[in-house]
Amino acid sequence: MDALNNLMYGFSIALEPINIAYVFAGVFAGTIIGMLPGLGPISALALMIPITFSMEPSSGLILMAGVYYGAIFGGSTSSILLNAPGVAGTVATSFDGYPMAKKGQAGKALAIAAYASFIGGTVSVVFLMLVAPLLSKVAVSFGPAEYFALMVLGLTAVVSLSDKSLVKGLIAAVIGVMISIVGIDMQTGTERFTFGSINLLDGIDFLVVALGIFALAEVFYMLLRGGDSKEGPRNAIGSLKLTRSEVGEIAGPVSRGSVLGFFTGVLPGAGATIGSFLGYSMEKKIAKDGDTFGQGNIKGVAAPEAANNAACTGSFVPLLTLGVPGSGTTAVLLGALLVMGVNPGPMMLEQRPDVFWGVVASMYIGNIFLLVLNLPLIPFIAKILDMPKALLLSLILIFCMIGVYGMSFSVFDLLLLLGFGVLGLGMRLFGFPAAPLILALILGNIMEESMRRALQISGGDWMTFIDKPISLSLLVIAALSLTLPLIKKRRRKA
Amino acid sequence: MTRLNTNQWLALVLALVAAAYIAMAWQIATFPLPRPVDSDLFPKVLGFALLILSAFLFFEPPAPLAGADTIDPDAPRGPLLSTPWARVIVTVVAVAAYALLLVPLGFVLASMLLCVGLTVYYGYRRHSVTLAVTLGVVLGLYLMMTRVMDVYLPTGVLPF
Repeated sequence: MDALNNLMYGFSIALEPINIAYVFAGVFAGTIIGMLPGLGPISALALMIPITFSMEPSSGLILMAGVYYGAIFGGSTSSILLNAPGVAGTVATSFDGYPMAKKGQAGKALAIAAYASFIGGTVSVVFLMLVAPLLSKVAVSFGPAEYFALMVLGLTAVVSLSDKSLVKGLIAAVIGVMISIVGIDMQTGTERFTFGSINLLDGIDFLVVALGIFALAEVFYMLLRGGDSKEGPRNAIGSLKLTRSEVGEIAGPVSRGSVLGFFTGVLPGAGATIGSFLGYSMEKKIAKDGDTFGQGNIKGVAAPEAANNAACTGSFVPLLTLGVPGSGTTAVLLGALLVMGVNPGPMMLEQRPDVFWGVVASMYIGNIFLLVLNLPLIPFIAKILDMPKALLLSLILIFCMIGVYGMSFSVFDLLLLLGFGVLGLGMRLFGFPAAPLILALILGNIMEESMRRALQISGGDWMTFIDKPISLSLLVIAALSLTLPLIKKRRRKA
Repeated sequence: MTRLNTNQWLALVLALVAAAYIAMAWQIATFPLPRPVDSDLFPKVLGFALLILSAFLFFEPPAPLAGADTIDPDAPRGPLLSTPWARVIVTVVAVAAYALLLVPLGFVLASMLLCVGLTVYYGYRRHSVTLAVTLGVVLGLYLMMTRVMDVYLPTGVLPF
């Protein structure tokens, strides 16, 4: 019962009073940030990085896990109450959640979201606990060529699943890698693209880019959309209680959604969005009352909620075992880990078991907090949505600025942040997805290093990427992930 | 000659960026010892990748602009400074000014000015609420960063 012992060890870390306080603070802050329209888990995590900077890695990651869960749940809250999903992962929740809110059953929808998230999260943590050690054993045998191929796959998967243009997704990824290699080349000491500025010698911090492209760009975008919040007065939230028959009704969708969500989350690029949509459409097909989906069916809230939370946990698998994030959000998490001095990867389980098992245990605790504390607090937390937009936008600006300055103490970085904010707005207006850029930014350096190390070992022979079966198959899957959507599109047009 | 569409304009700009990037990649100094891959290879690959992708973008039919349908059509009829684009530009200028004034004025004062100033500019009129919330958040952040997390923030003209 190795896993059980390790989990107990993890609990002993996560249950330290200070770490419990961090989980609580993380879940709470994440819920509030995730609830604000436009600000999703990526912004929430990026805003938290400066706070975790000075923490013990295990505590920092515990806080981050709480923020992540909280932000996803917060996103569901605004989906249900306002029909304004902050993130794509909670769009499916709004299909039935908002109609329920319009019928005066917002409380019930929120309660179902909380229960389903709790169960989805908890079930998937069990899977994570079982799958992650196995996968990291396989990953130990990975050399630089395999890593390079794996990262290429991670990038192409995220690009191929972005709902916008494939070409624009690839352009965003290339620009992300370009940004990542600014500074001194660690292998040769050569300066690259620093334009003679000493501020750029250390490269561009990913926090500057993440906050600029996501949070700041979101503020600009909201300003462009104009007006104050236009939605009318909301109905009362109503009771949070579920009847016994309702519990029985959602039990199936929640358990199916949890399993489906986890495995979708493990796949690079898929994540919460696909997981929740798959969960929703599967239930719609299975349910006898499938035709009432979209009109406020409780199963239509339960399934995507369980699936998106399970997928969030699933997405930790590639991050923690391979050190390769499969989504924009886990890319930001990877960045946060690197800032804290932790290198996730196959060796993490052995070298930093405190971090790994601490996080697993804190996920359990985070889920419990999400349920026990957030549920009764929902009516109060929902008041945040009444905050005037003008004030909110100004405060988000301050959070972004202090986040960057508190970490680098550099005015240059603040101006750079502004530049990335403008770039993010442009990308948003012209339909360039931001997730590939941020993932490429995080992976760019490691990708180049793996490529060069592989070529160093092979004496410059490029066939090394094709000769190795794992690397070859990963590259083939990467190529397929890009070409298949194109072929499908062509067929649909024909 | 027909007018260029949005994607074609973007493709041209990106192609120019790619060309400049490739030119710069060629100027990266070579490492004195021979190595299978030097510092310039990856940037060159990236530059050419961007160039090829911009060619693809040039021939891709443009989708409707993401923000076009949601940008408030009535807003431009108001005073020039309250049009949506003016709001973005003023915010960008204000944030740039904040970055430059952060050290001389100090975190608390600069942040208060930015937050209150922009909130009023965006049109929120309950000034007492603005002042109270801003003061609370800014001071709270300041104390948390400096006292709890030991992160230095500039004090500027204020004594603390």
